[in-house]
Amino acid sequence: MGTNDQKRSLPHGLRLVALAGAATLTLTAGLATPLDPAPQQARAADDGKKVLTVAVAQSVDSLSPFLAVRLLSTSIHRLMYEYLTNYDPKDNHAIAGLATKWEPSPDKLTWTYTIRSNSTWSDGEQATAEDAAWTFNKMMTDPGAATANGSYVGNFRKVTAPSPTKLVIELKKPQATMAALDVPIVPKHVWEKVSDFSEFNNDKSFPVVGNGPFVLSGYKADSYVRLKANKSFWRGAPKFDELVFRYYKDQDAAVSALRKGEVSFVAGSPSLTPAQAESLKGADDIQVNDAPGRRFYALATNPGAKAKNGEKFGDGHPSLLDQRVRNALFRAVDREAIIDKVFRGHAVEGEGYIPPRFQDYFWKPSASQKLAYDPAEAARLLDQAGYKKNGDGKRVGKDGKPITYRVLCHATDPNDKAVGKYLQEWWGELGIGVQLNCLDNVTDPWLAGKYDLAFDGWSVNPDPDFVLSIHTCGALPATPKDTGATDNFICDKKYDELYARQLTEYDPAKRADIVKQMESRLYDLGYMNVMAYPNAVEAFRTDQIKSITTMPAKAGNIYGQDGYWSWWSAVPADSGGSSDNASSTGVVVGIVAGVVILGGLGAFAAMRRRATAEERE
Amino acid sequence: MTADATPALVEDKQRPAAGPRARKSSAYPRYLAGKVAGAAVSLLAVLVTSFFLFRLIPGDPVKTMTGGRQVSAEQLAAYRDEFGLDLPLWRQFTDYCGKALTGDFGTSYQFRAPVVDKITEALPNTLLLTGTAFVLYTALGIFLGTRSAWRHGKLGDRVNTGLALTLYSIPSFWLGLLLIIVLSVGIGPLPGMFPTGGMESGGEEGFAYVLDVAHHLVLPVVTLVAVEYGQTLLVTRSALLDEMGSDYLTTARAKGLRDDLVRRRHAVPNALLPTVTLIFINLGRTVAGVILVETVFSWPGLGGLFYQALSVPDLPLVQGLFFVFAAAVILMNTLADLVYPLLDPRVAR
Amino acid sequence: MTTSTGTAPSPRALARQRRRASVARFWRQYRSERAGLYGLTALSLCALLALFAPVFVGSDVSSVTEAPGRPMQSPSAEFPLGTDQFGRDLLGLVIWGSRVSLLVGLLAAVLSVAIGTLIGVTAGHFKGWYATVMMRITDWFLVMPTLVLAIALATVMSRSLTTTVVAIGVTTWPTTARLVRAQTLAVETRPYIERAQALGGGHWHIMSRHVLPNVMPLVLAQTTLIISSAILAEATLAFLGLGDPTVVSWGGLLQDAREAGAVSAGDWWYLVPPGIAIAVVALAFTLCGRAVESVLNPRLGVSR
Repeated sequence: MGTNDQKRSLPHGLRLVALAGAATLTLTAGLATPLDPAPQQARAADDGKKVLTVAVAQSVDSLSPFLAVRLLSTSIHRLMYEYLTNYDPKDNHAIAGLATKWEPSPDKLTWTYTIRSNSTWSDGEQATAEDAAWTFNKMMTDPGAATANGSYVGNFRKVTAPSPTKLVIELKKPQATMAALDVPIVPKHVWEKVSDFSEFNNDKSFPVVGNGPFVLSGYKADSYVRLKANKSFWRGAPKFDELVFRYYKDQDAAVSALRKGEVSFVAGSPSLTPAQAESLKGADDIQVNDAPGRRFYALATNPGAKAKNGEKFGDGHPSLLDQRVRNALFRAVDREAIIDKVFRGHAVEGEGYIPPRFQDYFWKPSASQKLAYDPAEAARLLDQAGYKKNGDGKRVGKDGKPITYRVLCHATDPNDKAVGKYLQEWWGELGIGVQLNCLDNVTDPWLAGKYDLAFDGWSVNPDPDFVLSIHTCGALPATPKDTGATDNFICDKKYDELYARQLTEYDPAKRADIVKQMESRLYDLGYMNVMAYPNAVEAFRTDQIKSITTMPAKAGNIYGQDGYWSWWSAVPADSGGSSDNASSTGVVVGIVAGVVILGGLGAFAAMRRRATAEERE
Repeated sequence: MTADATPALVEDKQRPAAGPRARKSSAYPRYLAGKVAGAAVSLLAVLVTSFFLFRLIPGDPVKTMTGGRQVSAEQLAAYRDEFGLDLPLWRQFTDYCGKALTGDFGTSYQFRAPVVDKITEALPNTLLLTGTAFVLYTALGIFLGTRSAWRHGKLGDRVNTGLALTLYSIPSFWLGLLLIIVLSVGIGPLPGMFPTGGMESGGEEGFAYVLDVAHHLVLPVVTLVAVEYGQTLLVTRSALLDEMGSDYLTTARAKGLRDDLVRRRHAVPNALLPTVTLIFINLGRTVAGVILVETVFSWPGLGGLFYQALSVPDLPLVQGLFFVFAAAVILMNTLADLVYPLLDPRVAR
Repeated sequence: MTTSTGTAPSPRALARQRRRASVARFWRQYRSERAGLYGLTALSLCALLALFAPVFVGSDVSSVTEAPGRPMQSPSAEFPLGTDQFGRDLLGLVIWGSRVSLLVGLLAAVLSVAIGTLIGVTAGHFKGWYATVMMRITDWFLVMPTLVLAIALATVMSRSLTTTVVAIGVTTWPTTARLVRAQTLAVETRPYIERAQALGGGHWHIMSRHVLPNVMPLVLAQTTLIISSAILAEATLAFLGLGDPTVVSWGGLLQDAREAGAVSAGDWWYLVPPGIAIAVVALAFTLCGRAVESVLNPRLGVSR
């Protein structure tokens, strides 16, 4: 330990700190530049360019239409590629898309589509029936290409394009959804070069050739998706020049960005919270769109999971097989309180299975049928069913143990957790324990039938066939190893009979009547207890967006429409989109960045100067 | 507290162990070889853990992947085959290790892209954030720590350490949220000055792009610096105080050297040794430690990716990221081990 | 330590006396650490508040069905800190939340230190292959990024307080193990250990009677420091949504606030109190830990 050694290490130490610092600075500076993935094509004179920026919380899973399943990605595909048909924004009926006309053969096994001749790909080529035929054939022959939309072509026998304007699809058996084939049609001349569809994500070279209202011009994972208006779109060019989906992991960040005008629109996932809506309502130049939702929010009860082959699996509580117990549980759920406290008015009290927004199919129970909130009646029902309270005030099951239900909840959904807390207290009063099982990913216990109750919800389509079909026996998994389309393992003969009848009923009024009977049956069974219909709460800046189409036109939502109506129709406000404040932001940016860098260097300098100053003494 | 053979990872307020001083003199190359071999073993151990730890997440990855869509047993089998999930566990394990050694961590379930691609996409963003914060808090920590030690016991020192300890006790995500409310949303007459999240506005190019990123960088960096500089400060300060009590300094003083010269020439450089160790360890740690800040500020980095992957769970991506996080710590610890003897001649010479 | 009493005291009484004296000495020195005293005072207050929370706020403060206010009210005379999204009194919730936060912090730290001490003492005592294996495991845990590992563990297990405690405890013990082992090695070189061995003291006797009492002060300091980080870790896990959503804790309150959209709504009064509570308690434990450390090992000079 000589002093010599001590001295020798002096310069080493300091030099190292300085060196590490300098290296990191260089690294940092270096990183910032090559990162730039700026859209490939040069941006012409930017001034006056109208940009519509949408805040999204979901990240893109894939930009390949053959792989993408998330709402954001499929919405973007709606904008990039024209589908055969589209849905009317007013009342959701099927209207022309890439196809102008479609006709079935008398036996409903051969469908002929007439393809429009005024749709061109963004590279100038004509979009033809050949592109459509190629897209479908690819999905039928290549399992990699069937990943996302394979179910649409499962029943296809053959797809051909006898002429550029004529597409013929032959089916194995009749199928009702031929005017609702939500499959993006891709340009054959571009996509036939792809070798492995299961790994090609369509996100490497821009712009991506398409024929929708917008053309994908840039993408950076978890940052943004940028689309340019397609000026030659057959339905007419969009009013905004550019559409940007910007990623905000945090919903609060997205809302703040809207307040500040960084984004023009925020949808929330799935909806803005009451507190956010409340605070935005008072803000200048912001409009909150509080539209009746298309979702229902329900409490599903495990009916004893089983497969089509009759094999039982899962471990639902046996007491729930008693309808009186299920009804009693629901009678102890104060729906009004849920609307009032959890949704704070941004929802409608649950009645039948289909939300009131779809008037034709909306059903509500009569006063006598209704399982109204009535804890006393609930207690009576439970007593009647033989689940009596023990000395500790807990109800005991047939096995003599106190009943505690496991309620499956989505950890990412605040509503689940909030309602779960209420359930704990309401059912606790009844003498029934609740174990809230909140998971990021509920799929697994759900598919395995390992739950007693679960928070459930579906977005309902204009045609309710799908949401009705998921409760039929036919939707059960073939064996416990398979995955069925079933939502909650419900299998009821009477319901299935009604379901089959409505399928073959062509008279809309009569069909609606049968659907309502199905809802009534579902209500009584108590396996799907609809608590609420949450509104779609979204907000946009009126100083950036002058007008925008909601769907349905009257009191509808903007984000997640069936179609591209909202973004295609949005009209920029006179003050001119978010491009306006770019310059002023620039100034702030400059100042701030300068301060930061100077601050960092300053700290270094101060240290050094201090050192030298004292050396001088 | 006797020093241990290797610099202990500094956990929280713990002062770092003094490093490999206890070692008898041996040739540096041998020391180096030992350390590198140790690091390699650790890396292998991490590889094994990354494979098995996440298999514990209950559930069938294939069913998760298909996310409740209707799929037949054949399709499920096809998926299992594609991702090699139909093989026995030990085969999956050997395949995983074999591929990982060649830098292939498989294909992400949710993004259908090679895990390595997803990681290399997010890594620069995380490095940008942590790198900038790291430089600033290290500089700040050393600077204030030295000042504090020089004036130890005085008001300045007390305020300094008090502030550092307080900031160090604050949850970083909470500080981030407050900064967003005050400086980004704006409160009262104060306008929002900074972006609320993300790394760029999108569409800027050239210098404007650099400025834009810098603008987005400010709040997350401030948050990180605020909660991290305290540790560097305290270690620098206590190391310096420790050193100032040493015999050789008394000797130096006795020789007639002025106090401040003694401090600067003798005390500071020696006291910086533990700080250097800390610097390296911090560098490895912060890569994993930014998860919170990235979450709060929607920063498109590794932390956010990890969290996203865990909630699916996207096993290949989770494994890859876990490996990267642990590897960063191992790499930096090893570097600290290697650099340390070069700085402190008493070690390994 | 005076031995002026007439009769010779029994060895046991002597030991007790010696211990009492050293505690008194410790306290005398601790009292001179001003920061440590502040920390201790703050802690005592928090502990009292948590213990008597049922008296102050009543156990129905976390009830959602009997919430007294409207959702998200700003501070008023009735609700000094406002209400949460269920209309519950936030002041009451923050007080109530201290119970869970402190409990989890304590339990996690005890678990962590217990594992660390066990492994440290045995690895220091037994040497040989056992020590090598144990220290390899310790090293391996050391390089695991703590937060990442804790998040992974919390995801793997179901969401409950036990999960949080285990996730924190299992990931933070290696530092303790290393410190304790080093101390054990030092203690075991002392002559009286050799004497005890010669007198036929078994492994258990040596470890529990001679080693453990000597590493106890170190363990104490370590526990105090780890509680501080365990409380932060609990808040972090709860904030990331990995805690039990049905219990009220400070981290959980912050998570609730964020989920309810309090940040963008500018409802600072929802966010500030739980954060301050976390910071105060974490700081208090840190101050105590540093004070204890500097009393035990003045050369560290941490808080001089």
